[in-house]
Amino acid sequence: MTYEVEARGPVIRAENIDFHYGDGDSRNQVLYGISIEIPPAQLVVMTGPSGSGKTTLLTLIGGLRSMQEGRLEILGRDVSRLGAAELVRVRREIGFIFQMHNLFDSLSAIENVRMALQLGPFSPSDRHARAREILEQLGLGARIDYKPRALSGGQRQRVAIARALANYPPLVLADEPTAALDVHATRNVVGRLKGMTVDQGSAILMVTHDHRIIELADRLIHMVDGRIVSDVVLSDALRICEFLKGVDTFKSLTPAELTNIAEKVTRRHYEPGEVVIREGEEGDELFLISEGEVEVERKGHEVARLGPAEFFGELALISGEPRNATVVATTPLDTYVLGKNEFRAAVQQSATFREQLRRVYFQRH
Amino acid sequence: MIAPDTARLSPRFRAVPLAWRNLVANKRRLLRSSAGIAFATLLMMVQLGFEQGFFDASLSLVRAIDGDLVVTSAYKYRFGTRDPFAHGFLDPVRSVPGVASAAPLYADWQDFFWTSPSDGKPYLVRVLAFDPAGPTVLSIPGLTALQSRLDSDDAVLVDDRARDFLGMDTNAGSSQINGQGVRIAGRFSLGPDFMSDGTAIMGDRLFAKLLPGNRDSAANLPIEAIVVKVAAGSTVPAVQNALKAKLPDTIDVMTKAGIVEFERKFQAELSSAGPIFWLGAIVGFVVGMLISYQVIYNDLSDQLAQYATLKAMGYKTSYLVRSVLAQAALSGLAGYVPAWLLCLVVYRVIGVFALLPLHMNLRLTALTLGLTMGMCLIAAMLAVRRVVSADPAEIF
Repeated sequence: MTYEVEARGPVIRAENIDFHYGDGDSRNQVLYGISIEIPPAQLVVMTGPSGSGKTTLLTLIGGLRSMQEGRLEILGRDVSRLGAAELVRVRREIGFIFQMHNLFDSLSAIENVRMALQLGPFSPSDRHARAREILEQLGLGARIDYKPRALSGGQRQRVAIARALANYPPLVLADEPTAALDVHATRNVVGRLKGMTVDQGSAILMVTHDHRIIELADRLIHMVDGRIVSDVVLSDALRICEFLKGVDTFKSLTPAELTNIAEKVTRRHYEPGEVVIREGEEGDELFLISEGEVEVERKGHEVARLGPAEFFGELALISGEPRNATVVATTPLDTYVLGKNEFRAAVQQSATFREQLRRVYFQRH
Repeated sequence: MIAPDTARLSPRFRAVPLAWRNLVANKRRLLRSSAGIAFATLLMMVQLGFEQGFFDASLSLVRAIDGDLVVTSAYKYRFGTRDPFAHGFLDPVRSVPGVASAAPLYADWQDFFWTSPSDGKPYLVRVLAFDPAGPTVLSIPGLTALQSRLDSDDAVLVDDRARDFLGMDTNAGSSQINGQGVRIAGRFSLGPDFMSDGTAIMGDRLFAKLLPGNRDSAANLPIEAIVVKVAAGSTVPAVQNALKAKLPDTIDVMTKAGIVEFERKFQAELSSAGPIFWLGAIVGFVVGMLISYQVIYNDLSDQLAQYATLKAMGYKTSYLVRSVLAQAALSGLAGYVPAWLLCLVVYRVIGVFALLPLHMNLRLTALTLGLTMGMCLIAAMLAVRRVVSADPAEIF
């Protein structure tokens, strides 16, 4: 039996979530304006220092806390408005993996997994077989009747993971799930989690600092002091890196410098005839053409046409002067955009990039 | 792929028995909790057994009355106190239609001292008397066959189940009552109650002779009760009504069942005995509740993260409460069964040494089982608040 997540909108959609503990003098705000959207089939890793609000966000998304400010949709349901009983129903569709395994010592491994299956879509006659199946998949086929005390720490954690995944949840929330696992078990577990995103379309949101998982993540969210400071879809970042490597200005940058720039870039689309930058305006963004073509005009006269792998807008960023030309899309245009602050940070961090820009600057003057 | 199973009645297809598993997971803890609950249950069983034995003993005499109706003084507040009425009421009773026989029963609890053949000391005993030539008034094992022996002016029958120190169960052939020699003509089996250590039965003439300060002959002796048998063809209520109509308000007429209930009500509601035994049972109940609470509370505290995890997974609080209550009920049973078995031994020992009719019956079994379940479930309901308030968000 296999399950697939129904085709629908984002698994998680959060808009402007604020959250605080305590009130009055003891009020401590831990989340500020959190907005994220996580579609199905994405393995999202959330990182950040201790106290950055990761766990609070995870518990809000898991329906384990009541919302205070903002709007949160989980699996298409607005949980910010749900009562306790409805939240319980939402939680049944979520697989929780905690740092501590929290297994009942009185129950065998398979019974612990069956406790989760009793809440899921399986008929009583299928539960035992499904529990056995998932435990076997996690390498515990010979230990299904063992009590937790007779299992190693890693084996217990795998039982807890089996319990979380047994019902083919469309959303898995995990907090350091591989902390207690050895290399082999981690590879197995991570492979299974990744497989769930591919095979079932499950979304997985995981707090971890385990590089073995980060390497497989589709997306990295970094939180600091209750805010999302970076949200990078890694496949996009890779595409941007590949693109940047093909651009003369960037091709001599180290991979780390490229990645650094790629992580700060956002995508933007323009229709034909749409003005991208206007002469005389303040310049605060650098544009890289991914697809399409633009016309560069000065004082109403076309001075150049630019195409894929070319960039524009850097002069105003370097000199601080207003835009000296107007750029108009002549075809459907896809661009990668680097903001002024990110641009300056990249320039500061990369001497090579600085040199390349200086060369381009003098060529264009 | 999931292989289909066929044995649908196998435990693997039933819900995971969490309560049972939690109960038996730690054998040492189970033993400790069962012992504690068994102790408290045994305490309740002994107290309630005493109460039942007390009632049984107190009611044994009125239950032994061999008649359909009993005529007594209306001022009696219980049967076992001396409150005789004039002999002159006997003839009016006998004259009522439907009365087949009306035999006087004489009784005394405070004036007869029996000299124990064992140690020669005088002890207060209960004395019952009637006309040995008349109809039977008491149905006591061994008595009917011996009734004719009471014709003799010095013959008494004694209770072989009386307390040992009275020496009534020895082979002695004679003794003294109120300093006068009496001949032991035979023995019957009644047993002591909480007021009397033993009973002697004699003919009415000897009773009149031995009763201190009595100047009446047996023919005029004040009567404690008249035992009435209703003639065939007449109904007990009809005869009772006819007797009440015939007799003044100072005389009461009760059915056999009525006088048993009259005595039971006194013991349960007016005497201090009933509440004392219940107080003992309540102490057992509270002790058991505290033990049970401590055991359940510790168990829940140890597994709080697990229960919170179940909540996070989507189990309703009501499921967790039911599971904890089921575990408490099972632990109650685990304590009850050994307590019940041990109680049989305790009753036997008390029965032998204290001559109290203690025995386990369905009423006592059901009552103590209900109390044991109650104490465990109340304890669980108090302790389960810990699980109810467990915050699943805290386990992340």
